[in-house]
Amino acid sequence: MDPAPTILAFDTSAAHCAAALLHGGRIVDERHEAMGRGQAERLMPLLADILKDAGLGWGDLDGIGVGVGPGNFTGIRIAVAAARGLALGLGVPAIGVTGFEALAHDEGGPVLVALPAPRETLYLQLVGGGTAPRHLAPDEVSGAFDLPPGTRVLGHGAEALGQALGIMALPRPLAGIAPAIARIAADRLGQAQPRPAPLYLRPADAAPPADPPPVILP
Amino acid sequence: MGDTLTVLGLESSCDDTAAAVVRQRDGARPEILASVVKGQAELHAPFGGVVPEIAARAHAEKLDICVEAALAAAGIGLSDLDAIAVTAGPGLIGGVLSGVMCAKGIAAATGLPLVGVNHLAGHALTPRLTDGLDFPYLMLLASGGHCQFLSVEGVEDFTRLGGTIDDAPGEAFDKTAKLLGLPQPGGPAVERAAEAGDARRFAFPRPLMDRPGCDMSFSGLKTALLRARDAVIAEKGGITVQDRADLCASFQAAVRDVLAGKARRAIAAAPVGLTALAVAGGVAANRAIRAALEDVAAEAGLPFVAPPLALCTDNAAMIAWAGLERFRLGARDGMDLAARPRWPLDEKSPALIGTGKRGAKA
Repeated sequence: MDPAPTILAFDTSAAHCAAALLHGGRIVDERHEAMGRGQAERLMPLLADILKDAGLGWGDLDGIGVGVGPGNFTGIRIAVAAARGLALGLGVPAIGVTGFEALAHDEGGPVLVALPAPRETLYLQLVGGGTAPRHLAPDEVSGAFDLPPGTRVLGHGAEALGQALGIMALPRPLAGIAPAIARIAADRLGQAQPRPAPLYLRPADAAPPADPPPVILP
Repeated sequence: MGDTLTVLGLESSCDDTAAAVVRQRDGARPEILASVVKGQAELHAPFGGVVPEIAARAHAEKLDICVEAALAAAGIGLSDLDAIAVTAGPGLIGGVLSGVMCAKGIAAATGLPLVGVNHLAGHALTPRLTDGLDFPYLMLLASGGHCQFLSVEGVEDFTRLGGTIDDAPGEAFDKTAKLLGLPQPGGPAVERAAEAGDARRFAFPRPLMDRPGCDMSFSGLKTALLRARDAVIAEKGGITVQDRADLCASFQAAVRDVLAGKARRAIAAAPVGLTALAVAGGVAANRAIRAALEDVAAEAGLPFVAPPLALCTDNAAMIAWAGLERFRLGARDGMDLAARPRWPLDEKSPALIGTGKRGAKA
């Protein structure tokens, strides 16, 4: 396997279009465009620009890294659908990376990662702890995780969570989400990978009909 | 010898995930090399209707799999294609976005041109795929999400002669089934129950038949059905199987009369030289409605064209075909192609009433 694969990574899980190109063992380009909407129109031209500026073509890619969330449902579908289409067209793997993994990428040891969820709630995962991610209100976090000694907290509202849990809060990493996705995807290249799928953590907002059907008489 | 085009189509605007491959030599009859449709009925069944977020979730993880299945069934590879066509609207936006992004990914990766297709154009051009119809023809599109009469004058030239101002008839069939304790999808269930029913027992309205023009309304009919049902329940404490059959038959007769009556007017309003009355959409599969429309066509001396059911309901062969027709005319879309929840096929005619301040939906 190529020790320095070429990976294009992108993420639209929040109000941004973020992308990074890993080539020759380093991040040769990184873009982060803030936008509340329009990611579906912007994403592919942005990726094409990055490749062009690096003097590369789509066919030079060894793999695709894609942020699968959690985050904005529509946003994570935009990136995942594009990644799966690219993987199909290029015949290279698309590798899904969660926002938890991307944020904790530079940290060793157990890290509790928090990402913003609607209505002041949080998506949380103990990365390195082998536990499933959760969707919780801030006041539910205490006691929700069995935190190993030395666990630190990182991400959205980390300071307040650190105080509430009595653990150290880490500053937000300087590197953006896309470079971390690219590096994680490169590490996983060559391993069997499921197709990337959005990580929703909340069910679809739908309720069964309230009015019961009529009684059918004999 | 004409130029042979092979086009991949993707469709994900409602609750069917679909991919298909259509090939045509210029001037010859097109050929559907593969058409794969993965429905989601079981996912939505507990909710009594399509839930947009549930649909979008399923599309995002099924589209590429459907494309692979369609290519395999067609026995071709991506390098055998000339273009990628994708439904870019109108429809449930989460699903449309998933389809558009998957298609953009494939197109960018392969260098193949991308062609965005209006879902309604896919339905409206299907009679050319299945029956080789020439322009102009009259199309009644009647499904779970749409209901309109279109004069189809060219690949990109449609005039909406009228449409529903509220619910689509397929939606009314689904709601009727729900109100009467019948399974979803409602169309086939109501039709089956109606076979044993008396269509004259309940005098349901024929909405908008007393007004000129080809516009239709089905939401009042649903309310009338609910009132009639509740009157029976008030009297007996429930409804018998026979009551249910009579309600279904009376409801179906009302929809049939409206569609046939308005079709008669649409033929009169359409340009001269119509080659046929064609239908599309799942409602066209209803035998009572279809028989009435056949009579209307015969009265007008027009052939009646109804594509096979699999090509009447949502599918990707119609998207591949409409994309192929647009591609032949030189249509190409960029990687900034937008997914549109609302996209009227006919942007010249005034929006139907009841469409709201954002303008025509379809």
